[in-house]
Amino acid sequence: MGYITEGIIKAFELLISRDAETYSAILTTLKVSTYAMTASLALGIPLGFFLGFLDFRGKKLLRTIVNTLLAFPTVLIGLLVYALLSQRGPLGQYGLLFTLPGVAIGQTILALPIVIALTATAVESLDRQLRITLLALGANRYQLLCTCIWEARYGILTAAVTAYGRVLTEVGISLMVGGNIKWHTRTITTAIALETSKGEFAMGIALGLVLLLIAFVVNFSLMYLRQRS
Amino acid sequence: MIPLYEIKNLIHKYGEKVALKIDNLTISDRGVTALLGPNGAGKSTLLRLLALVEKPTQGQIYLRGEPVGPFCKAFRKVTLLPQQPYLLKRSVFENIAYGLKIRGKKKNLRQKVCEVLSWVGLDPDQFLHRPWYALSGGEAQRVALASRLVLQPEVLLLDEPTASVDAKSAQLIKEAVTKAVSLWGTSLIIATHDWAWINEIADRTLYLIKGHVLPSEMSNLIFGPWTVNGRFWEKRFRDGQRLLLEPPPSKDMDIALISSSSVEIFGNPKPVHDQNLLSFWVTRLNLKTKSGQILVTFSLEDVSFTLEFSKEKFSSYGFVPGKKVWLSFPKKASAWL
Repeated sequence: MGYITEGIIKAFELLISRDAETYSAILTTLKVSTYAMTASLALGIPLGFFLGFLDFRGKKLLRTIVNTLLAFPTVLIGLLVYALLSQRGPLGQYGLLFTLPGVAIGQTILALPIVIALTATAVESLDRQLRITLLALGANRYQLLCTCIWEARYGILTAAVTAYGRVLTEVGISLMVGGNIKWHTRTITTAIALETSKGEFAMGIALGLVLLLIAFVVNFSLMYLRQRS
Repeated sequence: MIPLYEIKNLIHKYGEKVALKIDNLTISDRGVTALLGPNGAGKSTLLRLLALVEKPTQGQIYLRGEPVGPFCKAFRKVTLLPQQPYLLKRSVFENIAYGLKIRGKKKNLRQKVCEVLSWVGLDPDQFLHRPWYALSGGEAQRVALASRLVLQPEVLLLDEPTASVDAKSAQLIKEAVTKAVSLWGTSLIIATHDWAWINEIADRTLYLIKGHVLPSEMSNLIFGPWTVNGRFWEKRFRDGQRLLLEPPPSKDMDIALISSSSVEIFGNPKPVHDQNLLSFWVTRLNLKTKSGQILVTFSLEDVSFTLEFSKEKFSSYGFVPGKKVWLSFPKKASAWL
């Protein structure tokens, strides 16, 4: 037990003394997750909206596929993206393997089904009277779309927060696509995995505490938003 | 004169079910048109189509002679207050201002919103910034009405606006609607079961049943169950009276329509030839304020006939609620549905 207590004390020392390696991992995590979330929200919200709002042939099948992708294992996404970005892969020419944009592509694939599925659910749960009301008040197609998204805002924010939580805590994609390169692609989760395997608990615990703090903020926001909706 | 609405060869379906079938219908401009009919008759569907929020499955609707549909040029001239209005998840102000904002009419917004709020009996100081979830059912209904009135619509369509509110809210809604009609000349089309209000304000009445619009002359309906008696269909009443009608032309028809002009009234039983003669009770008297005509409703269990009388004719019959009279009508229904 002694080494764990010692690790916790040292972890606080690292955080308070602003240890460069620790803060590099934190910064890299925030950076790559921001890229991934920006891309997944930009693609996922419109796709989720149309999946929830429109009725078309094959909608149920598409919904089932999206729901299945919610359980996509991160190591499998890592493998696929690695294969795509490696020199032999179709996107090898862009040199994205072992870079942050490469990791962000993998994390976008991870977050996208979550954003689409939860946005579609939020839109589907809108009252049928909303559409009639907006049309009765004279909304055109664009105003109808914007107002429906605004009315489903709490549900869409829940989708974003849930996807962010998943992106932040994944390890498989970051490790396989990013390569866990120190000062470059090492994220909080890959650093914890590495430091633990080396028996260095202090940095692992310090990073774990930061991850817990971010997860707390994310979940607190989620709870608040759910209450509002 | 060009009518307000003209409907031609309209069929509207939900899935395979035909909700509305209107071959030809015109609704006059200005004034108040009442839509009457039982639940499920198609009143709400007709209002949604007239409000241009739904496109008919087949057929065409014309508004002042122009073919119209959702998102057409004229679609902002018309507004609908549904039976269960939806308030946006915003404050009362934002709800009422929404329609004006999307039209780009942002001048004197607060003043316009406050004005219509007071029309519907809500104090702007108290309600303007109140969120949507802090309103009672009656207040929400009045905010929803205010969000339509602020648009000063040319056509206002109301679907049972007073059905689920208390007497005070109902009165305030009626007053606000009447004010809009008299002040801006708004054409009002209203589906309601509030007979007293309809008789007070309606210039014309449309009866809907099973998705069909009936002329007011044909508004006396006889529902089943029917039993077969020789070559007739028979409806038996608990007091032993029997009503006989020639069967309908099609098996899926089971509601008989009796034209008001084919009904004769007697104070005492009188021998009639090849006609139904049944005793009814006078159950309701209504004055049509605008025309001065008197509507008398005669009831026998679940069958009600409503006939219109001039003041002179009404006086000569001496109708009072509870009076027993004898109604005679042919054994051939005017129509079947």
